[in-house]
Amino acid sequence: MDRVTSRWGRILIQIILFLFAIYSIVPFVWTALQSIKTVRDAGSRIPKLLFTPTMENYEDLWLRSTPANPEALAFFLLLALVLLVGLLLFAQYIPGRRPLVYGLAVAGFTTLLWGIPQLLDTDRFYDFFMNTLIVTVGTIVISISIGCLAGYALARYIGLLGVFLLLAALAFRALPRFAFVLPYYWIGSALHLLDSRMLVIITLVAVNQPFTIWMLRSFFMEVPKDLEESAMVDGANRLTSFLNVIVPVAWPGIISTALFTLLLAYNEFLLVRVLTQTNWTLPVAISRFTGGEDPRHLTLAAAASVSATIPIIVVILLFQKHLVKGLAAGAVKG
Amino acid sequence: MKRNIFLVFASPSILVMTLLMALPLAMAIWLSMHFMTFTNVLEPQWVGLRNYVDVLGDAQFWQSFEFTVVYIAVVVPSWIVIGFIMALLLDQQSGLARGIYLSIYLLPFIIVPIVGTIMFRQLFEPSGILRWLYQEIFNTRFRYTEQTVKALVLFHGVWYVTPFTLVVYFAGLQTLPQDLLEAAGIDGASRLQKIRYVVIPHVRSLTLFILLFSIMDSYRVFDSVYVLTELNPIYKAHTVMTYTFQTSMRLQRLGKANAMAVLTVIGIMVVLIPNLYYSWKEQLAER
Repeated sequence: MDRVTSRWGRILIQIILFLFAIYSIVPFVWTALQSIKTVRDAGSRIPKLLFTPTMENYEDLWLRSTPANPEALAFFLLLALVLLVGLLLFAQYIPGRRPLVYGLAVAGFTTLLWGIPQLLDTDRFYDFFMNTLIVTVGTIVISISIGCLAGYALARYIGLLGVFLLLAALAFRALPRFAFVLPYYWIGSALHLLDSRMLVIITLVAVNQPFTIWMLRSFFMEVPKDLEESAMVDGANRLTSFLNVIVPVAWPGIISTALFTLLLAYNEFLLVRVLTQTNWTLPVAISRFTGGEDPRHLTLAAAASVSATIPIIVVILLFQKHLVKGLAAGAVKG
Repeated sequence: MKRNIFLVFASPSILVMTLLMALPLAMAIWLSMHFMTFTNVLEPQWVGLRNYVDVLGDAQFWQSFEFTVVYIAVVVPSWIVIGFIMALLLDQQSGLARGIYLSIYLLPFIIVPIVGTIMFRQLFEPSGILRWLYQEIFNTRFRYTEQTVKALVLFHGVWYVTPFTLVVYFAGLQTLPQDLLEAAGIDGASRLQKIRYVVIPHVRSLTLFILLFSIMDSYRVFDSVYVLTELNPIYKAHTVMTYTFQTSMRLQRLGKANAMAVLTVIGIMVVLIPNLYYSWKEQLAER
């Protein structure tokens, strides 16, 4: 659309956009403030906007006991984190050997994450955080691998069988989780898999599959057919031409789909709540802090909420373009 | 692509969906005809259709169904109207501010729903800032009652999904047919007329898409309602899904819960079948 030109019109638009931003962000700001208050300040009936900030809620949440030299440890951890993130960000400017650099960064992150409990007396919340990480990564890897194959096949095959598969996927996507969750519980107890991360990952892959193949199919449709045809003339078979020619071209779309898979696995509550008793992921762990009479629950819930949101904010900032593209591609939420 | 190559490529995905979606769905129907608690999961007791009779005669189930319908009726139109208006306004903004606003607007939709709801709730806790504001303005105490909790559920529903429609419409606005807009401008159409006769027809298919999916998604809303009601068990503002959760996890009536899930599936068919029909025609047209 063409721009509004009148001065008052422009001012009005600015005011509305700004107010809508406030409306979107108020719960985050308030919760972040609550999370750095003492229990006393947070519980005050007249909201306190001036207070002495404290990190004790985060300490309570993540650690069982205060380490002897917190400053040195915090400095060391921050340094390691900055180095690794820097390595990832600058990987594209390092000529050649990029897989090696990414491999190094991933190995660094893994060592760091598994090493932290050796340095610090971490509480269960850290275990839940690690669980979430494992479940999310596992779901993304499996779901995207098999989803890419099916999505590509659906984009290229024109028979009716493909239509049936797509429609079945659409129908499954629309059904409530509850239609599947209790049978999963039955399967889990029959196979003695309850409370295992594996069951959570496999069921998440399944509930994710309909959405994944629809979205990946739409991205593979955009890749011109001549590409793999010319590769196949050169003697490559379907699979190698797919892996070497199509996947690199469709990579941005695959990243978009992976992002939505990430959000879905990271956000899942009901499935994890029913299928696990101790191996929770973050949403289930956080839901335990609400309600109840313990006054500390208020600030702990705030600190836990902020802790779980920071990774997501990082993801939005890094991949905003991919997210918008995915939503716009007719992506279907959740 | 030949049919057997298609099958080879699609088989892992088909296998997963058969074993973990089609089969469990059939099992849900089978389990819904049994009496089952967490103690006899593997040896459920056959009761025939008694669970269905039980559910259909359950006043609380109908109450939760009623609130679910109210939820859909309030929340879905709000998503579409607010999302469309905000997309039009955001389209007026350019440059860096546009990206920053977009990131901020996306936040409620992108974060963990459970966490978003907990953050939302923090505003209305006894020490929350909005509760305090409410009491200052209206000079009465804010209490959690059935009405206020329901209002919170609806308010939160609008708050956290509007970003989705906003972004979809915003992307749709970027592909507006410029020649049509210019022609309308030459004919002396006002801004509102352009929106009415060019923009709205252009986003019609998007609106249909949003409508179909958001009705299905709001019908099965769970996470946010769970946080806002289940954790305060006194305040009954159940939707069908949270009532099913309560029946299964708190009351351990797994068979009855399965019957509710099956009934929900049948309810969703009302929207799903037109959706499937629409996609079927679209798919055939593509080929």
